[in-house]
Order: sequence, then C-alpha cells, then structure tokens
Amino acid sequence: MTAYRLASGGLIDRSAPLDFRFDGRNLTGFSGDTLASALLANDQLLVGRSFKYHRPRGIVTAGPSEPNALVTIGKGADSDPNTKATVAELYSGLDAHSQNRFPSLKYDFGAVNGLLSPFLGAGFYYKTFMWPAAFWEKVYEPIIRKAAGLGRAVLERDPQAYEKCWAHCDLLVIGSGPTGLMAALTAGRAGLRVILADEDFRLGGSLLGETARVNDASAQDFTETVLAELRSLPNVTMMPRTTVFGWYDDNVFGAVERVQKHVALPQAKLPVERLWRIAAKRALLATGAEERPLVFGGNDRPGVIMAGAMRTYANRFGVAAGKSVAIFTNGSAGYRTAADLAAHGVEIAAIIDSRAEGADVAPDGVRVIRSASVIDTKGRQRVCGAVVERSGFEQTIACDAIAMSGGWNPVIHLACQRGAKAIWSEDLKTFLAPDVGNGLVVAGAAAGRYTLAGCLKDGAEKAVVIAADLGFSTVSHTAPAVEGEIDPSFTALWYSPGAKAKAFVDFQNDVHVKDIGLALREGFGHVEHAKRYTTNGMATDQGKLSGINATGLLAAMQGISPADVGTTTFRPFYTPVAFGALAGTSRDEHAAPVRKSPLHGWAQRNGAVFVDSGLWFRPAYFSRGGEKTWRESTDREVRNIRENAGLCDVSTLGKIEVFGPDAAEFLNRLYCNPFLKLPVGKARYGLMLREDGMVYDDGTTSRLSHEHFVMTTTTALAGGVMSHMEYCAQVHWPDLKVRFCSSTDQWAQMAIAGPKARLVLQALVEDDISDAAFPFLAAGAVTLRGGLKARLFRISFSGELAYELAVPAGLGEAVADAVMEEGMAHGICAYGLEALNVLRIEKGHVTHAEFAGRVTPDDAGFGRMVSAQKPDFIGKRLSTRYGLTAADRMQMVGLKPVEPDQHIRAGAHLLREGAKPSTLNDQGYVSSACFSPTLGHDIALAFLKSGRERYGERVVVWDKLAGAEVVAEICNPVFVDPGNTKLNS
Amino acid sequence: MSRTYISRHPLDDLLPLEPGIRAVDHLDVPRSSAIVSVMAMDGEEASVTAGLAASGDVSIRFTGPGEWLAVSQSETPESLHRNLSLLLAETAYFVDQSDGRVVFRLSGPNVRRILAKGIATDLHPAIFEVGTSSNVLCGHISINLARTGENEFELIVMRSFAIALFDDLKVMGREFDLSAGFSVRG
Repeated sequence: MTAYRLASGGLIDRSAPLDFRFDGRNLTGFSGDTLASALLANDQLLVGRSFKYHRPRGIVTAGPSEPNALVTIGKGADSDPNTKATVAELYSGLDAHSQNRFPSLKYDFGAVNGLLSPFLGAGFYYKTFMWPAAFWEKVYEPIIRKAAGLGRAVLERDPQAYEKCWAHCDLLVIGSGPTGLMAALTAGRAGLRVILADEDFRLGGSLLGETARVNDASAQDFTETVLAELRSLPNVTMMPRTTVFGWYDDNVFGAVERVQKHVALPQAKLPVERLWRIAAKRALLATGAEERPLVFGGNDRPGVIMAGAMRTYANRFGVAAGKSVAIFTNGSAGYRTAADLAAHGVEIAAIIDSRAEGADVAPDGVRVIRSASVIDTKGRQRVCGAVVERSGFEQTIACDAIAMSGGWNPVIHLACQRGAKAIWSEDLKTFLAPDVGNGLVVAGAAAGRYTLAGCLKDGAEKAVVIAADLGFSTVSHTAPAVEGEIDPSFTALWYSPGAKAKAFVDFQNDVHVKDIGLALREGFGHVEHAKRYTTNGMATDQGKLSGINATGLLAAMQGISPADVGTTTFRPFYTPVAFGALAGTSRDEHAAPVRKSPLHGWAQRNGAVFVDSGLWFRPAYFSRGGEKTWRESTDREVRNIRENAGLCDVSTLGKIEVFGPDAAEFLNRLYCNPFLKLPVGKARYGLMLREDGMVYDDGTTSRLSHEHFVMTTTTALAGGVMSHMEYCAQVHWPDLKVRFCSSTDQWAQMAIAGPKARLVLQALVEDDISDAAFPFLAAGAVTLRGGLKARLFRISFSGELAYELAVPAGLGEAVADAVMEEGMAHGICAYGLEALNVLRIEKGHVTHAEFAGRVTPDDAGFGRMVSAQKPDFIGKRLSTRYGLTAADRMQMVGLKPVEPDQHIRAGAHLLREGAKPSTLNDQGYVSSACFSPTLGHDIALAFLKSGRERYGERVVVWDKLAGAEVVAEICNPVFVDPGNTKLNS
Repeated sequence: MSRTYISRHPLDDLLPLEPGIRAVDHLDVPRSSAIVSVMAMDGEEASVTAGLAASGDVSIRFTGPGEWLAVSQSETPESLHRNLSLLLAETAYFVDQSDGRVVFRLSGPNVRRILAKGIATDLHPAIFEVGTSSNVLCGHISINLARTGENEFELIVMRSFAIALFDDLKVMGREFDLSAGFSVRG
C-alpha cells in the first residue's frame, strides 16, 4: 500500500520543490504543502506514538484538531515541540522529529505498555500508586513524571524574538472560509474596519479543497476573486497564519500570528511570532465545522483518516492517502469523498454505510455495504484491511487506507470561552454555540449551516446586520450561486457496536470506549469528571475530535440525551500558544522598565556599585581602590560622614507638590500628626497611617508658601502615596480645594550630611545658611552662585548636620560635581544606600524595614506624635481599637550584642534567655541590623514585647536560618547622639 | 565663585551628537522643551480651558480632569511659566516640569504600526484625531501621547523612564528600521 502524490491538481507549486527531513530522512515536498501533506506524499504514514500505550499512529486530520501527528521542529534551543504536522507550513530545510518514542518511531520500547493495557485502564494511577505512602514521593512520582508529558521542552534560552501588538476594528472575522470571506467582503464594501484572520497560511478555508462551483467558477477561482477585492479595500486587513485563540472581556480577542515560522532563517528585525490583542466592536465566528470521527474497533491504525481530510489532501494538496480506500460513513460526506477520490483515480474498496438507506450515489462500480460497520482493522504500523460486520456476518475488505466520517461538530470554542455553555441541537445532533449577545455572532457551518450556499449567504447577511447595527449603510449583495451543492446529512453514530479491538475515542490520550464505561461505573459519569478520570479531551488537542463523542457515549450508556450530559468547559487557548509569544518583548532588560536617577552618571563616575531598588538603580556604595568588600567601603563612608561630610543621591524619593486654600487641611487629614499650622519656610516629619491604624508611609513635608507645600515620600511608595492622595481627594473629601501633582522627576536631590556640610554648601549657595538664618527644619528656595534657582531643606536622616539640595534634574550632575569639588578640601565623599542605612540605624531612624505594615506609630516610638486634638485623620478611628493599644505589643528597641564581636542579622527572632528556641516562645524580631563603625560592634533595631520597659534586660537573638544564637542587651534605639546636638549644630 | 552649570539630557550618551541618516520612520528627540503642569483652581476648569486654547504657540496636552501639560519648543521654562502665570492668573497652579519630562517625536508612514506594539489605544485618525492627547501606557511605561499630525505623534515621559522608553521604542521600530536622533533645532 502507498500514499502518493497525484500526477496533477492541488494548490501546490510543483515547480518549487522543497527539501525537508523527518527523523533524519531526506524528503521532498512542494511549496504550498503542509508537513503532513508532504509526509503523506512520501508515504510516511506512521508519524508518532500514542501517549499511554505507545501505539503507532498516523495523520488523522488536515487541520488544527490533529491528535496524532505531533512533531518537534528544529533542534536545540530552536526546537518547537508538539507542532501539528497538519498545520505546519513546509519550507526548505524544515527538520522534523517524531515524539514519544524510543529508540525510534518504528521500534519503540514503550509499546510494551500496549501489552499491559488490561492493567492500565482509566483511573489506573489513582488506584495503583497509593501504598505504601512513602513510595509516592520517592518511587511513583518520579516514574510517572518521567512518563508524563508530550514532547520535551528545551531548557536553553529561546533565541527567537517575539512581540505583542494591539489592533482595533469594527468587525473581526474569524475564519476565511466561504462564510468569513462573504462577511469580510460585505462589511468591507460597507466601509467597516475589518480584520479577517485565519490560522491557515492560505486564505479560503474549505473553499481551497472544494469541488463545487461558485458563480460559474471553480471554488478556488471564486476565492481568488474575493481575496483580490478584499486586498483592494484599504479598510480591510487580512491576517493569514493567525490563530484567534481566545475571547476576553470587552470583546478583546487574543490571536497569535506566525510571522516567520515558515522560514528556515528568520530575519532578525522581525519576530517569529506576534501576539495580537484585537479590540473588536463586533466579531463574527466563521470557524466552520469539524468532521466527527467514528468510534470503531481498530480506528487508530495509521491510515485511518477523516474523510474530509482525505478529500482536502487530494483536492488541495494533490496527495492520495492510499491506492485503495475503504470509506466508513454515517452520512453523505463519505460519498463526497468517494466521488472526489474516484475522480483522482483512486480505487474505492467499498463504502461501508452505517445507515439502512440513503439517497447518496456512490461512484460507478463502487460497492456500498449498508447497515454495516467496521469492527476491526488489519495491519501493524499501517492499515491493510477493514473487518466489516453486517447482520452478524464478517468479511475483511482489503484496503490501504480507511476514510471515516461521523457527521459534523461546529467549531464554537471561542463563543463558549466566557462561561456560556454550548446548547444541544436535536435536529443537527450536535452542540451549537449559545447566544452570547451582539459582540460575537456565529455564522455559517459554525452555526450549523453546512451547505456551501448557506454559508456564503449567512456570512453576507450577518455582516449586513452588523454593519447596520454599527450605523453603516450597506450596499446590496447577491448570494453567489453554487453548483454541485454539499449534502451534509448524517445519522448520529456514537459507537460502532461489536468492536473486536480497542475503539478509541481520544487518540491523543489513548482513551477507548471501555474507559468511558469504567468511569461511568465508578461514579465519574459527569462529563467533567469523566474527562479527568479518563484523560479524554486533555493535552494539546483539548478534545477537538473526542469531546462530543465522549458526551454522546456518556449519554448513550445512560440512556439520556447528550443535552443532559453537556460538554466540558471551553477555555482559552483554542490551540497551544508558545510562552515566548505571551511574553513578547518583555524579557531580559525589557522585562521591567529601569528608572534612572538624574545623578546616575555622577554616581557612575564616582565608582558607584548599583543595586536594584524597585525599578530604580541606586548606588549601594562607592568603591575606592584597595577596598575589597562592600563593608570596607561602607564603613569608610560612615566614618567620613560622622567626621567630615558626604553626598548621597536622594532623587528617587517621591515629591508631590500640593496647592490650594485647603492644602494644609488636606495634609492635616492625611498625616496622623498636625500640619495645619506648619509655618511657611519650615519642613516637618509626617507619618501617614492606613485606615487600620498601621503606618503606611513617612517623609518630610515643607511649606513653600501659604497655599503650596512640597511633600516627600519614600522611594518605594511614591506612586502609592500619590494614588492614595487622589483617592482621598476625589472620594473622601471632594469638598477640599486642593490640587497636587508629582514633581519627583523634575528635581535632582542630594543629601549633604556631616559636620562640614554647611562649609561645603555655603561655598555654593548665595543665601545665608548659618544655623541662625537656616536652622534645623528650615526649607525654602535658595539661589546658587551663578544664579541657579534651587530648593534647600535642612533635614537629616543620618543624625548629622545635613541638608537636602534640589536642583532641576538636567543640572543635577553638574551641581553634584560642584559640591564634590567644593567639598574636596573638607574631605567629602560620595555615599550609597548601605552607608545611609548604617547611619540611620545608628540614629534609630526607621524605614520600611520597620514600617512593614503591622506597626503602629506607638510601636515605633511615635506615640506622642499622633495628634489627639485633630477631629479626624486617616487611621484615627481604628488606632484605638482593642489590640492596637495592648501593653504587650511589640515595641521598637535597640539591641547590642553582649559579646561585641558577635553578629546580629535582620529577620532573627528574639527569645527570653533559657527559653527553648521555638516560635512558640517568640518575643519579637530584628527589623534592621548592621555593623556600626562609630561604635565598633553590631547594632540592631528590633520589635520586642513591651520592649520599652525592658532596657538593660538580655534576650537571645535566635537566627534559625544561620543556626546562630547571640545574647544581646536591650537598649534605647538611638545609638548615636541621642541629644540631637549634631543635627542642631 | 560664580558657576555655570551645564544641563544634560538623559539620552546624551545614547544618541549621536551629529544627526545621522534619517529613515522614513524617525524618532526625533528635542534636546530641551519647556513643559509646565497646569492645574485649574477649584471651579476654574472652564476658564482655564478657554485660556489655554488662546495661548498661541503653546501646545496643550490633556493629563486629567482640570490638568494639562503646556509644552513649548520656542519658549524657555521660565518664560513659559511666567506667560502662563500672567495669562491664567488666579485661576490655575503651575509646576515646572521642563526637567522632569522628556519629549519624543515619532513620525513616518509606519508610526501607528510601531505604536500599536506598545499602546492599546485605537490610533485610527478618525478616532484619535490630530490635536488629541491622552495619558496611556506604552508597554510598562506611563506616557502622555499626543497626535501632532496624520503620521506624527509626541510622547512625553517622566525623565527617569526616558532611557527605558527609548530602548522600547527602538525595539518597537526595529521592523521599520526606525532611526533616532536629537532635534536639529532643539
């Protein structure tokens, strides 16, 4: 037996041969072939092994529902597993490999599973791998994991590029068959913005393999005429090679376009795949109907192919699936395949018709066996005969391929993806799409209108309605005339009785009729349970062929209607989509945007080592020659600031300009401490709570004029605080006259800290910044020598005499350079986040390490700051609730190791001395810890039960991760300059 | 000692000093722009809208109810701020953003296809008309987008995101060989 290329015909370019490889064999196809059609033309019937029993399997379909012909295309990092050969466009150099077999497709060890099949029924795993319990993790799971999965994902980095795109249209037409073409044409002529998408590389759908004539021309010529007109319309976009895989909220559709999957060497400037999000005012589902397989004994033998697919291979690709074909059908479609194959000179061994009678005419001389069924097939790795039973008599009919046709299932996946369930049609013996409203309308064969004329008419008519609905005046249209119309009638046949071999329902997952019966008997008869119990409809094809048959079988076995069984749930994706396409360009440095401070270049020039801080890169420390570790650099920076001066980039802190006659009142309600009477020219530390009374954020806010404040936030919550303020202004207090906007990016801001900070700054600032003229917490506009307007704030995070100088961002680097230049004589150094952190821990200042969301102001020692006088502020009501005022709450304290050479790490827990190390005995935790160069030993900030009453007491710092226990003394959290003499100096 | 400070553009190290070969699709980056946030005082939204419409050479970008960015290539930040303050006295608040925002001008026949790779908004000229502006996301980055011509758009982004947006735009424009450079005049 052989499959072979017909001498003529088909939409392939016989003048353009293409070389390709399958499992190392060099083969040839033509331009216009799919991998499957080219394999068939080379008589490669065996293309894969089934999942469970490793049975030899061949090509079954000519489209995206293919369960068997899954191959890996390409090698190494470039390989694409589980590619359906039936939709893979052939190109020169294509290198495909079969899957799920070892050592080769022909001789496969895994086939031994077939012999064990009596023990491998549905639910086998659930029943077998239960005892002993200890075996699960060590024995069963590894074995099952090794056997599981179709194809192999490679772990190498995908070298190809992907991207994502948005598109917008009035009408998205999904499918370019007769229905879709007429809909796109009608809507296009009416002026709608139309997108016509089809998964195939050639537009035309079923028309490409149709022998009926349309408008007195071949179906293919008619298609070309329509496509030519569509191409001429500027408002129509045609998207071949594009699978619309999902329907989402707001009528947004997900689609994946295979831009360069059909070329051996992709262009670097184009992605290989492009993920589209198509926002469509309306969509028309013109996805056609899928031919239903027949469930009969031995129906999985390579060479058993869907009748419609066999017709497509012959008519569109010029390939005969065999020299002598037997056709098993329950309707007219089988006769149509017989006629087309006979016209191509293929012998028809017999037509086996499950119906007792029918008006269909078989080709001349072809034997029709009515009321008969196929109960087994002969052959090993390819079919060589069909065992036919009629009225108790069996006969074997020699053939080298079997075409099967079991009726039609409309392709309605997208319409059911948002929760609506498919509806059983007793007339059509199948499930139809539910009414899902105007957004998505189903037409043509997808709506159960199977005739060609019916599809052409339905597509045009539905487009007219949509156009009118969107306010377009439509041009009149005439339905194209069809000669040689299709008769789609069939009689449902869920199971062909008397099977002498396994009758498969799901080819991909090796589910046969007995498995469905077993699931039902064992109480898993609900269609969703049956799917999970048997695996019917799982994996890459998601039951495109098997789903409706499983429903029909479950119904028939219980004597109920398929309407009462229903379908399993349809979810995106219609067909699998590569993760690369879903990620698009959001990988590597494009995975998240990087924010750069206006002082980034300055920091780089000064030797900064950067650290990720949210989206920002901030200097962690500034390495100098001879320094080998971050600690050496950090210790030097800290000492130098305590003795001389340092400059730190604080541009990343959020800055919000607040205006209006009610700005002060607005801030007074946002912060828990008072702001109403903050004088102009002054800064104040502010503590913002959440409604639940916990600290949300902190920062300083300065009053620049009576109705203008500038607020600062932490770097982490700059955006969060802005949103919070918008919410409060718009929802809580719309009556307040206040306006605000972010100015974070406008200013380059630098902290200049240390006893010599004033000396350095005074050299640059025209204004008098002496302690008398510009005392602690002064804030306002200053002018730099040369005339540059700047803002200066006398605030300190380090505990030193310190200022923050803000200049327009573009000038930041130049000003920072000037500060360093002026400061050189005073020993200034650049310092980073690490030193900033050490300085503030030494001073007992808090960050989000302390304000981690479960800390009240009182916990952190700010209890007295919370205004009792203010009538209201965010967090006031819940601050007094039970538990938030309890005496044994964890309070912030300082810790120092009793042995000065011992280390404390943040995250460690606190225990009473002598207590068993256990979280049951937990007394608190360390929030921040560092080595203090000023004191010469480790220090820490910690939250400890009733901590403020326990200064002088000892606790055990228990760090289970590091396996360390250190005895520490509880102390005041302000380690350096508790009297604030430095910052007021 | 008096000092002169030289301003830097965030793309200074990424774009050539001299204009190179311009492709049909081009990303033009003005070295400096005067940009001011305008916020209408309570109840003054309509009068500020009218005032801004009469502001002549200044381009107005919508950023939120009662809030705009005023953009000018001809004025300095100080003069724009001053002129707007005179024009809209006692009706609006102003914040200079000239250093805080970076302007990108994208033009060419494929500009909509380039922007569709990052922006979800429908940019069909019948829907997003010339003169329209809106805050949108371009990929992960929030920008203000304005249509300044049939095939011309301006993207205004926060300064700290300028390099990231520039990198994204280069990837988005790769298919069309998008060129980029500082404005010749700006």
